[in-house]
Amino acid sequence: MHEDLKMELFKDIEEEQPLTVSELTDYVKEILEGNFKSVYVVGEISGFKKAFPSGHSYFVIKDDDSQISCNLWSFRYNQINFKPEDGKRVLIRGSIRLYKLRGTYSIDVATIEEFGLGELQAKFEKLKKKLSEEGLFHEKYKKPLPDFPERIAIITSESGAVIEDFKKVASKRYPSVKLFLYPVMVQGKGSADSICSAIEKANRSQNDYDIIVIARGGGAIEDLWSFNEESVARSVFKSKIPIVSAVGHEIDFTICDFVADLRAPTPSAAAEMILPDSTELFRNLDLSQGNLHKYVKSRLRNLSETLDNIEKSYSFNKPNDIISEFSLRIDEIGDEIFGIISNRLKYLNQNLENTGKHLVNSFRSQNEKIRIYKRNFRELDSRLNHLIKERIKLIRSDINQKNKLLENLNPDTILRRGFTYITKNDIILSRKVNAEIKDYVKIHFSDGEVGAEIHDYN
Amino acid sequence: MQKKKTNNGTFEAAYKKLEKILAELENNIEEKSLDDILNNYQEGLNLLKICREKLSEAELKIEKIKNET
Repeated sequence: MHEDLKMELFKDIEEEQPLTVSELTDYVKEILEGNFKSVYVVGEISGFKKAFPSGHSYFVIKDDDSQISCNLWSFRYNQINFKPEDGKRVLIRGSIRLYKLRGTYSIDVATIEEFGLGELQAKFEKLKKKLSEEGLFHEKYKKPLPDFPERIAIITSESGAVIEDFKKVASKRYPSVKLFLYPVMVQGKGSADSICSAIEKANRSQNDYDIIVIARGGGAIEDLWSFNEESVARSVFKSKIPIVSAVGHEIDFTICDFVADLRAPTPSAAAEMILPDSTELFRNLDLSQGNLHKYVKSRLRNLSETLDNIEKSYSFNKPNDIISEFSLRIDEIGDEIFGIISNRLKYLNQNLENTGKHLVNSFRSQNEKIRIYKRNFRELDSRLNHLIKERIKLIRSDINQKNKLLENLNPDTILRRGFTYITKNDIILSRKVNAEIKDYVKIHFSDGEVGAEIHDYN
Repeated sequence: MQKKKTNNGTFEAAYKKLEKILAELENNIEEKSLDDILNNYQEGLNLLKICREKLSEAELKIEKIKNET
């Protein structure tokens, strides 16, 4: 693009055609602004002006040989955290802008910060980290402050508002406190040393301080720098007397604040925080006095009422009643004991009864079982009887039958029908061959026998 | 370290003693003899007086410590 521009520019020159001022300015503007869209520059502020009503600021930054105009728009002015003043060295980021109307160029400021601030900040963070790791900020090292400090050492500048502010609050809240001022330099070369030696001196003092207050009003970080020095931090840490740090304003934190036993946002606040309020204390004392009277009075009243009661009491006047009451009491005790014993007996009785009932119950259940067995047995028995009877009947009829059969076979029966039999020498003669003539035989009839002699033999 | 702080001369010592006596009276008065109660009462009144005097003491005093080392 720039090549194109150049070509165009040379072309015009070659053709000996003059440019208008505006045309040339436009060329320059394009080249300049195109090449310096982002600049980063360090310099010293000079001729700082804030225009009204726009609120835009105009100034130049310069070094020994050159200067450049700068514009700081109002909305950006509100974003910066320091007060730009003549003489301050600053770091600026921005872009180059050409102002056509005048043919001048300037820096359009995007950010502006104090030169060296970043360096201090880094130093601060580094020391903070180091001391924190060493444990200097640890809660366990924080010494408690007394409730009612009598003597306070203040390490601050002799001149300036700080000591006056502190005095004002102190005399309002707790005028009986005694303040001891240790004047020191609170900024610049040697200030850290003077603060350290004041801390040591206060610790060695015969005044026996209750608290040391280290105070300074607000300021820029470099103004408060002595309170960020390692030597001050170590002196504060070493102090046997509790130290309150009241350096700067609410938002300013210093290393000294972190090491101190208490950090107050401002010197006046320090006075408020460490001193009791005597108005309130007076009120408390009134209250305490009221309570003191109340407790003692009510106890005395109690005691005298008790005395009255004893004096007026029936028993105090009638010892006999005491005795009879006592014997009543004995009776009562007797009754009580009797009651206890009879209760005990009742209980035992109850137990016995319960056991008996239990036994009876178990008998009953046994009986029931026996009854069931018996019933079962009876049933079995009758069934068996029946079976036996049936069997006997059967056997009987069988016998009868057999009897009849037998009867039919009985010889007597046969004899009764007309048959006879013959015996020879009491042996039945059943064959002819066994009979011989002249044999004596007996003929048997059903109703008796007769003798006979065989004489016919064919 | 906290040496002469505990003597009765300071406001703190008197105030704390007073608080102690009051707490005693509030909680244990029935176990105390009449003599003790009256002694406590007397002491309480004294301490109140000391406290009030200390609080009313003069203007704020400030002393400058000379800077020679």
